[in-house]
Amino acid sequence: MAQESFALKIERLITLAIEFITFFRRSMAAMLFHVPPRKQFVHHAVDAGVGSVVLVILLIVFAGMGLSVQGYAAFIRFGGHDLLGTFVGIGGIRELYPVMSGIIVGARVGANLAASLANMQISEQVEALEVMGLDPMRYLVAPRMWAVTLMVPLLCGFAIVIGLGASWATAVYQLGLNSGTFMDQVAALTTWTDLAAGLLKGLVFGWLVAVIACFHGFRASKRDGAEGVGVATNRAIVHASVVCIVANMLLSALLYT
Amino acid sequence: MGFWHRQSHPVRQRHFMNVVAKGLESIGAITLFAVRMIRCIFTRPRFGGETLRMMQLLAMRCLIPVGLAVSPVGAVISLQGVQAFRELGADSLLSSMLATAVFRQYSPILASVMVAAQAGSSIAARIGTMKVRGQIDALAVMSVDPVRYVVVPGFIACAIITPLLDVITTVLGIASGWFFAVPVSGVNHGAFMDNLYSQVSAVDLYVGMGKCAVFGGAVGLIAGYLGMHTSGGAAGVGRAANNTVVYTIVMILVVDYFASVMLLAMGL
Repeated sequence: MAQESFALKIERLITLAIEFITFFRRSMAAMLFHVPPRKQFVHHAVDAGVGSVVLVILLIVFAGMGLSVQGYAAFIRFGGHDLLGTFVGIGGIRELYPVMSGIIVGARVGANLAASLANMQISEQVEALEVMGLDPMRYLVAPRMWAVTLMVPLLCGFAIVIGLGASWATAVYQLGLNSGTFMDQVAALTTWTDLAAGLLKGLVFGWLVAVIACFHGFRASKRDGAEGVGVATNRAIVHASVVCIVANMLLSALLYT
Repeated sequence: MGFWHRQSHPVRQRHFMNVVAKGLESIGAITLFAVRMIRCIFTRPRFGGETLRMMQLLAMRCLIPVGLAVSPVGAVISLQGVQAFRELGADSLLSSMLATAVFRQYSPILASVMVAAQAGSSIAARIGTMKVRGQIDALAVMSVDPVRYVVVPGFIACAIITPLLDVITTVLGIASGWFFAVPVSGVNHGAFMDNLYSQVSAVDLYVGMGKCAVFGGAVGLIAGYLGMHTSGGAAGVGRAANNTVVYTIVMILVVDYFASVMLLAMGL
């Protein structure tokens, strides 16, 4: 790979930022000021929501089980393994389960969006839409963004319930802790506002994933060819997961301090 | 052969046995692929220059995402932990919890997940593009084994750089945890540093690095397998990159759970 000069890198970064701002403005206008086409919306909502349920269950069950085992292994060194409920309440319900579902949705749904839009770009289907007088922002981007933005919070709430169940089952049946103590600690620490915070986090993650994935998918152009689809998918996955983690920190700092 | 042909019939039946058969078929194929790859690692010719180039490329590309993923986690642990431990009046326990969580769990897991996201998807996309364009077949025609030349360097590069990235992310996680505990939340600096290493030792770092090496190798293997089996043009490339990330993240969490249980039983 050829080494680029520093000025060229800066120039490319600025171009990217301007492209993103333009895309953001256009897509938000299409998303907020027009009703998305219903058929596409339902299709993408089912694909993003129902299609991710099995994956979210699989991932969060193991994340929750792992959280319990790791917390137990850490606390038993100073004899504090009865504190596991507190640990799961803070580490799991507030942080791990929402952010894990955000990452996995970013990886599955975001990459899907980016790949399908990039594929449409390189096969000139987007231009074809424009020629027919249909605005691709309204027809392609807006229903996808609405679908993902509205489906991810549901997945997040679902993940919190599943993850808590998995952590509890591991703590009680595998590690032999007292079920009552565990649940008391969880209940003392977390309230309905934590679940609401999880849903809010999901809403933000979904929106960010949708914007980023659609941006990278839409940026691909015909001369990139098949490689462009791979690059778009790769960037969508990486940027979406990093942004989810950073957004999680900012939201946690905002909500819990 | 008839049975396998039925799998790729356009009107695919979502029968339960079909799903099971397909899963078993994939497991068998990936095992054969792994055997083929391991044989390539231990026999000549080896492509060392290509491996080094891949390592450099992947390390440069992964460094920023991995750092950006782990440092917020250290910050979150500190911010949440300060609150919880204040209620118990045990401020000083914060740093030992932070160190345990970062060393043993978050740093290896997040480093491997981000390597899966960045390196895995880019390797799968690259190999998939080569496959779709017929470059893989061209290599085979020139009697260069594509597995040896294309897949093995990615596998070795991933297996080596992931533990190295884990070290960097551990330092970053602890540093950002320190920043949000000491200057931001007002924990005593001396108490923080005193308790930092009370619960972790070098063994924890090695265990984390070992996990990372296994996960990184698996990322390289799965990315290579899915990339080499790409079909269906540009859309197939996107699908390969996507599936690589999803499968590897699930695999990382599943394997990590069993590894934790095993380590707990061994008393590490």
